[in-house]
Amino acid sequence: MLLRLAPSLRGELPRPRVTRLLSLKDPTTGALLDRGLVTWFPGPSSYTGEDSAELSLHGGSLVPALVLDACVRAGARMARPGEFTQRAYLNGKVDLVQAEGVADLVEAESEAARRAALAQTEGGLSRRVSELREGIVELEALLAYHVDFPEEDDPPVPLERIVREAGGVAERLEILQATAPGGELLRDGALTVLAGRPNSGKSSLFNALLGEARAIVTAEPGTTRDAIEARVSLGGYPFRLVDTAGIRPHEGEVERLGIEVARRYVARASLLLLCLPCDRAWGEEEATFLSAVPVGVPVVLLRTMRDRIPRGAAKAPGPPGGIGTHAVIDVSVEDGTGLREIRDTLPGLVYRGLVELGGDAPVLTRRRQRVAVTRALEEVLAFRNALSAGVAAEVAAAHLRSAETALEELVGVISGDEVMDRVFADFCIGK
Amino acid sequence: MTRSYDVIVVGGGHAGTEAAAASARLGARTLLITPDLSRVGQMSCNPAIGGVAKGVVVREVDALGGVMGRATDASRIHFRMLNRSKGPAVWSPRAQCDRGLYPRGVRRILDGIEKLDLFQEMITGVWMEGERLGGVVTRGGQRFSAGAVVVTAGTFLRGRIHVGGEAGVPAGRAGEAPSIELAEALEARGLEVARFKTGTPPRVDGRTVDFSRLEVQAGDVNDYRFSAYVDEPIPEQRVCWITWTGEGLRKVVQENLGRSALYGGAISGRGPRYCPSIEDKIVKFPNAPRHQVFLEPEGLETTELYVNGLSTSLPGDVQEAFIHTVPGLEEARITKLGYAIEYDYFPPHQLRHTLEVRSVPGLFFAGQINGTTGYEEAAGQGLVAGANAALKVQGLEGFVLGRDQAYIGVLVDDLVTKGVDEPYRLFTSRAEFRLLLRQDNAPERLGPLAERRGLLLPEQAAALKDRRRRWVEVREWFRSEVLVPETANKVLREAESAEVNRPVRAEELLRRPRVRGESLARAGGAPFAGNDELVAAVELEVKYEGYVRREEDRARRLRDQAGFLLPDDLPYADFVTLSREARDKLVRLRPGNLAQAGRIPGVSPADLQNLVLEVRRARRGVAVDATDEPSQGSPDIL
Repeated sequence: MLLRLAPSLRGELPRPRVTRLLSLKDPTTGALLDRGLVTWFPGPSSYTGEDSAELSLHGGSLVPALVLDACVRAGARMARPGEFTQRAYLNGKVDLVQAEGVADLVEAESEAARRAALAQTEGGLSRRVSELREGIVELEALLAYHVDFPEEDDPPVPLERIVREAGGVAERLEILQATAPGGELLRDGALTVLAGRPNSGKSSLFNALLGEARAIVTAEPGTTRDAIEARVSLGGYPFRLVDTAGIRPHEGEVERLGIEVARRYVARASLLLLCLPCDRAWGEEEATFLSAVPVGVPVVLLRTMRDRIPRGAAKAPGPPGGIGTHAVIDVSVEDGTGLREIRDTLPGLVYRGLVELGGDAPVLTRRRQRVAVTRALEEVLAFRNALSAGVAAEVAAAHLRSAETALEELVGVISGDEVMDRVFADFCIGK
Repeated sequence: MTRSYDVIVVGGGHAGTEAAAASARLGARTLLITPDLSRVGQMSCNPAIGGVAKGVVVREVDALGGVMGRATDASRIHFRMLNRSKGPAVWSPRAQCDRGLYPRGVRRILDGIEKLDLFQEMITGVWMEGERLGGVVTRGGQRFSAGAVVVTAGTFLRGRIHVGGEAGVPAGRAGEAPSIELAEALEARGLEVARFKTGTPPRVDGRTVDFSRLEVQAGDVNDYRFSAYVDEPIPEQRVCWITWTGEGLRKVVQENLGRSALYGGAISGRGPRYCPSIEDKIVKFPNAPRHQVFLEPEGLETTELYVNGLSTSLPGDVQEAFIHTVPGLEEARITKLGYAIEYDYFPPHQLRHTLEVRSVPGLFFAGQINGTTGYEEAAGQGLVAGANAALKVQGLEGFVLGRDQAYIGVLVDDLVTKGVDEPYRLFTSRAEFRLLLRQDNAPERLGPLAERRGLLLPEQAAALKDRRRRWVEVREWFRSEVLVPETANKVLREAESAEVNRPVRAEELLRRPRVRGESLARAGGAPFAGNDELVAAVELEVKYEGYVRREEDRARRLRDQAGFLLPDDLPYADFVTLSREARDKLVRLRPGNLAQAGRIPGVSPADLQNLVLEVRRARRGVAVDATDEPSQGSPDIL
């Protein structure tokens, strides 16, 4: 097809991976469409593993459209979303996890999401999963040696060693699993609900946070008419900020409604920002919000309108002793007090595991990944516990096989006879 | 004149004898042809039968009515239950046999089977009748016609023996001619052929061994029998001896490596890693200070000893030199030199699960010709191939064992779906259901099936029924017997388990880890105390009920997948939602069902799911577009 588009090639494909300036002509009329850079990537050394070509054209809307149209008339069709990566997967160029990473990379809306997706695309997560799987295969090899070769030169492997190594594998699985809660939020952003009684400064804060963040992608009305949602990147991490202030308290009935809406959001939140003006005391409304927060979701108490009370003066009383919040920050949108502190504090609360691990560690970003790693972890722990309880090793080994399968399904590879290969590599076997 | 049979078996080794016996038991008129009838059932390598996984296969062959278990019982002169210190799930019986008594036992059993004829002659070719096999031709030009032919040629196909770095001598076994024409005739049918090697150690004269320097390895004293159906009288028992190689041997071998057929380049075929030559051991594990050597008696009436552990292809003078470095063997005289042998095999992906050659209907292969090693692996395949040859002639459904039914099923399935890249032997870790596939329950697992398919003789069927009755008796005793604390605590103390202060049922105690069924049976005065095998069977099923059930669940899922059939003519190349690697493998191997497809290395769980969609859509006559959303995830789709 490339040859039909670029007749000056005279039927000969250009040298692989070398850019050439060529005239592109209409395959039917022969009319010149554009002069552009053409690079030829023969398979399997291409992104998809199949023959492909890349054209760099002059911009605008008309030229690319004309060339695309010419391509279609020469026999091409438009790729569907994700098709290039799908083909790369089917041709064995990337595994399942890497393919997911490509999709995430394209959609990344924050620095942290981009880093995680890129690491995944580059095979970081796949490698980690493969290492963990190898750890399990290693355990199976020890058991295979234990069972299949009772009369060898080397003495039998002590069970304590197997228990110890199982513990090590479990620990590494746990570390990876711990990235899941934060990792899964990376793609959509952490649902962060601004709650508080009417006139507690939620909306001004909402606007201030959006104004602060330069990485706003969208700010659109929420799915319900009574809340506003916006995506925002704070400290490099993605958040979905929800302001429930869409309803103004003209009368008591509506006011109650507003609180109801807020409570609905609160129940799904990853983080609650509870606003309480500095000059108002903790009351029943605040307690109501707090009671709606699911267990484990961090709560930040924002003492808003700091500028309303004189510097040095005492704030109105906060929550009574025994009611815990993860942080208390004094804020004023008038003079900017506390906005930086909010930005610095929030990522650590929601993306705990990730912030601690640093940017390069592999992260689980999908439920599918978390489920597989969790299953593998549970099976390895079950194996270790069974061995410790005196269950025969060859029986307990059933757990290891399940763990291995879980990880294989995750990256989409299937094993050969690696257990035996490992045994032969490590032990001198046979009479 | 052409003599005519239902089934002809070519070869009289462990595969051939089982094939012929199974075919004849099924009522097919059967002929076994082999170049030397005096060597039927010969043990070409070490005089031992059984071992880990292999011992279970012997039990399975026996449960299916086969020969090997009985012949082993009748000839065993040393017996050990390997893995006895581990759980009963992996107990593995192994016997040293008298090299003379074993084949005599085989011959006696074959002679007792109606419809089975024996004939001595070398087969040099096969002839076709249209698309299917017509029969075989002998070296003398005699033709035998048959409805099906089972070829079990062992290491004889273009066999070549190496002692030292010379070019080697054509031979099928030491001192026997190879089979060259048959190999050529089969290759001419378009079959892919490849080459493997294996080896044996030297044997020494026991009168020249200094036994005072050796460690004695005594056998277990019991009347364990491989055969569940016939109690053969067990011969007098002997001991084995253990000694070790050391620095001296390492030096001799290293200095002469260039003269080894293996390391001098004379042999190209690939050998088994689990049966390494002494050259291999020294080269691959140079830091191991010593290697075990087992001296195994060749028989009751000979002083010859098999030097297990020193398999080699070094020249005679080097074998002599290294043998003399081994403690106890300083003065030993070699009676037979060790050697390496290279031979043809036909990569087994060319077979169906019935062991019939895909491209030549009516032709079946079993044993080393399929790239396996081991008497037991050969016997298991022989039984499957022989039974299927007979069933084919009779127009009946094939006999295929599942991976959840038997090690033989694992063996055949591995061969057919994965192929081999080194001589194949069984290990327990090849089986996904090893809690189900035990030596103790082989008769319960396979006996009823064998009876249903007509593989058992009437007396075998009667013995099976009797055994079932005893099994139920043991099971019932544990279920109903109540032990008083005094009795129970004796056993519990011994097992370091918490004591009880009230009467408790035997079964409840049996569920505890470390509490052994045989101890409970003895303490409780059970009428069957001492029958360890049935007790162990019940113990395992009670103690590990949860795990056993888990395996049964997995086995059921596998059977569901096995029920999803993949026709032979599926256009795998067009299934664009499958990875390229999966497509290539499926085109090559053409699995019969989804479960088999899933075991092919390179076919991932996601491929498997998409395969189901492709097949369903292909059935509906709808083409699948590469861009349809493929489903990715667990293969448990059925």
